[in-house]
Amino acid sequence: MNDIIEAVNRAAADAEMKAAAAADAGALEALRIEYLGRNGLFPELSKKMGSVPPEERKATGSAFNTGRTRIQNALDEAMARLGGAGAKADKDAIDLTLPGRKAAPGHRHPITQLADECVSVFRRMGFVAVDGPEIEDIYHNFDALNTPDDHPSRDPKDTFYFPDGRILRSQTSPVQIRVMETHEPPVRIVAPGRVFRRDTPDATHGMNFHQIEGLYIDKGVSMADLKSVLQNFAWEMFGKDVNIRLRPHFFPFTEPSVEYDFSCVVCGGKGCNVCKNSGYIEIAGAGMVDPNVLKNVGYDPEVWSGYAFGLGLERLAMLRYRIPDLRFLYDNDIRFLEQF
Amino acid sequence: MDISRKWLSDYVNLDCDDAYLCDKLTMAGIEVEKIEKNSTIPEGVVTARILSREPHPGSDHLSVCKVTDGSEELQIVCGAPNCDAGCIVPLAKTGTVFHTAEGDFKIKKSKLRGVESNGMMCSEEELGISDNNDGLMIFPADTELGVPLTRLFPGDTRIELEITPNRPDCLSMWGVARDVSCLLSTPAQLPEISIPVCDTEIPGLVTVENSELCPRYIGRVIKNVKVGPSPDWLKERLESVGLRAINNVVDVTNFVMLELGQPLHAFDRATLAGNRVVARNAVKGEKITLLDGKVIELTESNFVIADAEKPMALAGIMGAENSGVTENTTEILLESAVFKSSFIRGESRTLGISTDASYRYERGVDFDMAELASVRACQLILATAGGEIASCAMEVAADRPAEPVINCRFENIRKLIGTTVTNERIVDILKKLHLKVDNITADSCVVTAPLFRLDLTREADLAEEVARIDGLDKIPTIPVAGKVCHPDSEDAYAPLKMVRDLVIGMGFDECVHYSIVGSASALADSRFEKSDLIELSNPLSPDNGWMRPGLLGEMLGTVGRNIARGNRDLRLFELDKAFCKNPAKFPEERNELLILMTGKRHPELFSAEGEALCDFYDIKGVVETLLEKLAITNYRFVIPAEADGRFRTGHALILQLEGKVAGMFGELNPKHASSWRSSAPVFFAQIEAAALTGAATRVKKSCKALAQFPGTTRDIAFIAPETLTHGEVIDFIRKCKAPNFESVRLFDIFIGDELKKQQKKSMAYSLSFRNQERTLTDNEVNAAMEKIRARLAAELKVELR
Repeated sequence: MNDIIEAVNRAAADAEMKAAAAADAGALEALRIEYLGRNGLFPELSKKMGSVPPEERKATGSAFNTGRTRIQNALDEAMARLGGAGAKADKDAIDLTLPGRKAAPGHRHPITQLADECVSVFRRMGFVAVDGPEIEDIYHNFDALNTPDDHPSRDPKDTFYFPDGRILRSQTSPVQIRVMETHEPPVRIVAPGRVFRRDTPDATHGMNFHQIEGLYIDKGVSMADLKSVLQNFAWEMFGKDVNIRLRPHFFPFTEPSVEYDFSCVVCGGKGCNVCKNSGYIEIAGAGMVDPNVLKNVGYDPEVWSGYAFGLGLERLAMLRYRIPDLRFLYDNDIRFLEQF
Repeated sequence: MDISRKWLSDYVNLDCDDAYLCDKLTMAGIEVEKIEKNSTIPEGVVTARILSREPHPGSDHLSVCKVTDGSEELQIVCGAPNCDAGCIVPLAKTGTVFHTAEGDFKIKKSKLRGVESNGMMCSEEELGISDNNDGLMIFPADTELGVPLTRLFPGDTRIELEITPNRPDCLSMWGVARDVSCLLSTPAQLPEISIPVCDTEIPGLVTVENSELCPRYIGRVIKNVKVGPSPDWLKERLESVGLRAINNVVDVTNFVMLELGQPLHAFDRATLAGNRVVARNAVKGEKITLLDGKVIELTESNFVIADAEKPMALAGIMGAENSGVTENTTEILLESAVFKSSFIRGESRTLGISTDASYRYERGVDFDMAELASVRACQLILATAGGEIASCAMEVAADRPAEPVINCRFENIRKLIGTTVTNERIVDILKKLHLKVDNITADSCVVTAPLFRLDLTREADLAEEVARIDGLDKIPTIPVAGKVCHPDSEDAYAPLKMVRDLVIGMGFDECVHYSIVGSASALADSRFEKSDLIELSNPLSPDNGWMRPGLLGEMLGTVGRNIARGNRDLRLFELDKAFCKNPAKFPEERNELLILMTGKRHPELFSAEGEALCDFYDIKGVVETLLEKLAITNYRFVIPAEADGRFRTGHALILQLEGKVAGMFGELNPKHASSWRSSAPVFFAQIEAAALTGAATRVKKSCKALAQFPGTTRDIAFIAPETLTHGEVIDFIRKCKAPNFESVRLFDIFIGDELKKQQKKSMAYSLSFRNQERTLTDNEVNAAMEKIRARLAAELKVELR
């Protein structure tokens, strides 16, 4: 410890005391000049640095800096206490707390949000997104999909009909037929879109809802390919912890047919209200394209095989965002839309 | 369909708990919808021995007992008269919850008149085992201690199954037992089914006039039956799956239907005119009163089981009121028949009648089961109602359908499923499913499906059987191979997403509306008349039956709804399909883009900026930005030649893309907003999405080199007649073709009170000049400006300032 260090420390302590006692901004400015100003104490002391023996220079320099910081902090604190942002009143002072001028982007509807995500996930797996008509004929919606003539889904109680005998498509599956009719295999498509069922709108039904359909036809396609694509989809949409389960089921246009479940995205499979304690959530149907469907579009089932799957976007949206009532999605209240 | 676990275990040994069984069924495609345990005994009741009994110091009817369940000794206060030392009784330990009609009741540690009690000993009534409440239930002295009563009295479990339409064979206990036996690898066995041999023929007992609709009919007569209540075992079986017991004969027919899947009908032979039945088409005008009292007038298309005179049953659906078995019945004609499934499905749907019988017939019953079921029912009727068989099987049958024969190539099965299931396992599964497997070679086998599995006709069907029994969890997940099969240009979604992204980026919230609308909503878009609308044949309600011709109607509904809820500052859009019947106007289906804004331009801001309302230039700016971002240059805004009912006259422009009308934008005709509690004007743009994306994707982008020499600007200001438009000014300046002219930009328009009175306005422009090869001189630019100024003054009649 040398004289200079001692003087610095004493000056810092004095300045701290005086700053704490200062009554106005003027007094603080005077203090600043006294200690840190061009002719103040610190510049004076620094002139004496030359006389410090080399081995003490480092410690002295450090004490010097500490002292200066202490004084500056004391002055800043005192200034804050006195309520001013600066010693002089700023003529251009602004209220920093007023709202910013936002570039306020709009909001994507949750259905579109899910459709976008699905399309993007499947796109990465080589699927291209195609479209098909919503006013569809019986052939593409039912006959070509191996649906028996007296299948209940054809009933006007369940499907909307037009006077010319056409219908509003009850599923996105007719897009499969339209694509296969116009393309030689292999085909690898997804088809997002609106489908119609004759249900009175309530919390879980609507006159229409949205599906996304998937189809892959190639040589040697198996259920393992189907399972893997769906598993990958589950991971991408809901995270790496979500597993897929296939259950045998029946659809006229696939054989073998399955329903696929995700392990519950809420409880992780432990059991909760959302999965009704089963640990799994039913997502949708899938399967290997029925040989009759392949024959209907002129593909040889001995050469080509493939899978198809579908899923409901409303269902995904309700799961993803815990939307309690389907009607929220069609009401378009901006207080709802702006949450997405 | 509901099954009972107890009943199911008559045919197959169920050595597993309910959860395991149900999981197996679900994972084999027989989905369990609901599990209902109907044991009345709560968990926590165990067998226990009373070690000692002392009188209660504070009561004459209570006793204080020491009790053990083999693991601990407990003191229990008991009021039963028979709680004697040494007895083995049911003990509900603390924590046991009884579910009673009055609510849940939990056994807790408590004090009864000052003496501690740690549980409750139970009577049979308290456990719901019987009505006996005279005292504690007492077990034999050699009963093991600590055994849960739920194990001694397992009760039953009712399981609701969802049977998919391809599996009518599972609409019976025996059918489910067959699959369960395969799943649990344990044999399934029917009980001994036989009746005393009877050779008596009753000629003419059964006539079938239409063997297409009724390919098999077996009638048997049983006489001297005594109709009465069913025995307990039969009642219990029916009640376990939710059927009401009626009388022994009817109950047997129901039992056999549930057991074997074959619907049966018992006619009171005495009520049959001619004592016989005829399966025939109805005669027009015939009437039948069904068991449920409903009267139906029949036509030739209905199919009935009649006696010599009148219909006695709607075939395969329901019997007539007067045909059924009553207490007075002594002689029965038992029907076991096969009807054409699609016919019964149609009948059931047309008549709006669905019964347990029609449900099975419409899905298809086993042709071979009719005889066995008939014998089984006779056996049980003899056992429960007495009587004797009075005829042999009086059968009328068409040819037995051929059994499907399928060539099963093992490698194809593996290729479709994607597992390594072995040939042996494939054969084993098919055999366990009661299929006939022959000609087994190293590559294939020949499979014959029994008539109860008509869903199996192809290799793919067998693959499904192997997959579901072997377990879908055996299918591996493999790396996803994302093969490219289509060029990106076939992507129909990306162009629409691009438009959506841009509009969202400009601050608009996306809406989705139903596309089926009412006529008022449809016609709010005045481009369309009623004859342009596509109408549904079977709408949900009479005024909700049109496909929307444009997106405006529903959007206006949304605006009104939001304003009514206090949301007055709106920036909304929708991009979706619209429908039109008139090809002269639009294709049947097309995508339309509708962008709408009203209220404050920047509601998130404050002061004057926050108060400013949207105006025409906001919607125009949105359209311009959209066009710019889509790199569309070949467009024009055209002033409409005639009024469009959607827009306020004089406040709208038509958008032309590549020379064709592609949309329109401007201020909404205020008549649409008259009922809204908002005075802010509404602006919207309607654009054909195909024209927009079409024009966008065909543009080739290129870039210009940066100019090497500096440019010069000159300002010009003038007083112009109020009617002179900005568009006219810039067109004029461009047409002047002044040397080195580069561009022109408006920087001010001012209409003060003074100017307003004179019907004039002040306009100010900044003009840029540049030469690509050299720096311009002042003189050159001044000369060019002079030329423009002179022409403006002379030709546009403006006063230069």
